[in-house]
Amino acid sequence: MTFDLRAALTLEQLEINLFRGRTPPRERGRIFGGQVIAQALMAAYGTVEDRLCHSLHGYFMRPGDPSVPIIFDVDRSRDGRSFATRRVVAIQHGQQIFNLAASFHVPETGAEHQAPMPKTGAPETYPQASELRAEKVALMPDGQSAFYNYIPVEWRFVDPPIPAEDDPAPARQRAWFRLREPLSEDPRLHQAALAYCSDVALIGAAIRPHRRSHAARPQTASLDHAMWFHRPVDANQWHLYEMQSPSASGARGFNLGAIYSQAGALVANAAQEDLIRFAPDPPKGV
Amino acid sequence: MPSTLRELLTLERLDRDLFRGGNIGRIGGSSRIFGGQVVAQSLMAAYGAVEDERVCHSLHGYFMRPGDVERPIIFQVDRAFDGGSFATRRVVAMQEGRQIFNMAASFQRPETGFEHQTPMPQSPPPEGLTTLAEAQAVLRGEADRPYSTETAFPADFRVVDEIPFTRAGHALSPPQKAWFRVREPLEGLAMHQAALAYCSDMVLLSSAIRPHGVSLRSRALQHASLDHTLYFLHPVDLGRWHLHAMDSPAAAGARGLATGSIYREDGLMVGASMQEGLMRYRPPSENAAKP
Repeated sequence: MTFDLRAALTLEQLEINLFRGRTPPRERGRIFGGQVIAQALMAAYGTVEDRLCHSLHGYFMRPGDPSVPIIFDVDRSRDGRSFATRRVVAIQHGQQIFNLAASFHVPETGAEHQAPMPKTGAPETYPQASELRAEKVALMPDGQSAFYNYIPVEWRFVDPPIPAEDDPAPARQRAWFRLREPLSEDPRLHQAALAYCSDVALIGAAIRPHRRSHAARPQTASLDHAMWFHRPVDANQWHLYEMQSPSASGARGFNLGAIYSQAGALVANAAQEDLIRFAPDPPKGV
Repeated sequence: MPSTLRELLTLERLDRDLFRGGNIGRIGGSSRIFGGQVVAQSLMAAYGAVEDERVCHSLHGYFMRPGDVERPIIFQVDRAFDGGSFATRRVVAMQEGRQIFNMAASFQRPETGFEHQTPMPQSPPPEGLTTLAEAQAVLRGEADRPYSTETAFPADFRVVDEIPFTRAGHALSPPQKAWFRVREPLEGLAMHQAALAYCSDMVLLSSAIRPHGVSLRSRALQHASLDHTLYFLHPVDLGRWHLHAMDSPAAAGARGLATGSIYREDGLMVGASMQEGLMRYRPPSENAAKP
């Protein structure tokens, strides 16, 4: 069953700064992190008017339980003339599972520049990730090979998620994505959807140089997530996600992402650090 | 009043999770507290509420109001999460009862694992390069707005590029580099990390302003740091030189994003920085029209 993004992004308002979000039914596992980021952003938006989010920073603390709703408690940290800052704590079973700080800006114009979009083929020239054989897909949040069928995103890797040979691959991967079901024109929903999508495979950049097709799937968990929204987003359209990992150390992989519209506009940047614990290599010949 | 970085980073504990920090003067000639100071002190406050040998691996903060150099800052720490390997802390920095900055940071019990890093870019060694004070004097030369006496930056800081920061009328490419180290003794890894946080806020945002041909010290430019992110990738020793290689992937909507990679002098990538800033440009004619 595919995740109902629109339903997940529709939060129930319990009090002026308090919201409840649901996880669509899922067989097992922990809640996908991108869902919690997207819902926390919508909760923050529930307390903000006439401003658009330009950045968010969150920490994952405990795994989300898909069998119960998530409570989002919003603190109105600051309301300035141009900017507003919000903090959101996501709670389950009385404990913080995730916290987020986000900033909102009254739309302005100004000087512009951007890094150029990397050159790739058109999205349709690459296979859908949901059709790749399970062992070819490096990582899913909880190891389900059905992950790319579950997410409401059409995802097409430009670089194979696991290199064909066991030679080290660069700490970089690119993918095209768009929503399967279009969202309505509300810019808040599109930012939340982009936040969801930005968490889908970012960790893979750090894993690619180290993952071997014969090796056991490493233990993984996202530690944090940051996004900067530079320009308006239409998540119904194709976007190119360029992911790279400048560093891995201390069982953590550090990843940076750049998200381009198909026309080449850099619409957002992302950063994420992940816990990645590889099992020791099996003995040779086994 | 603290007069050294070490004094600045030594907070007074008011209660278990409540701290007070002082100021070091007018960095960059501003009556606003230098952003790197608040980040560094917030990290020290968070460390004050982390009980064992866990080490900070990342921090994310938002600047909300300008800090006043004439007043101390209160840091309130929330122990958001204590797990088996990780701990998360949130710090709110306050003056006059209002949040001026907030930060979340995560701490990890040291462990080992897989490693890779991008190579350090080529750079001339720091000795003999332009000092921060010399670079700031050039900026001051093109300032069209008055500002007060500058307090010396409490770290040894060298700029690598022929034109650091910005230059009026020159569209510079965003990348720029700077070396820094701290010559006074610092106590413990926490203080070295805080010193890195302090230094990481110097120059960084100007990378996003460089392509737009406006001086940092122009009356027509209003700029302010909005957030600050720092990843600590390896333990740091600020007694050694570090290279901050900065860039800016994007500017739009009167904001610019700057990113940096921080390398120890021998090439180890020890940190990564990110900062978004407001960069609002109003040509002089618009200013003149205002009462």
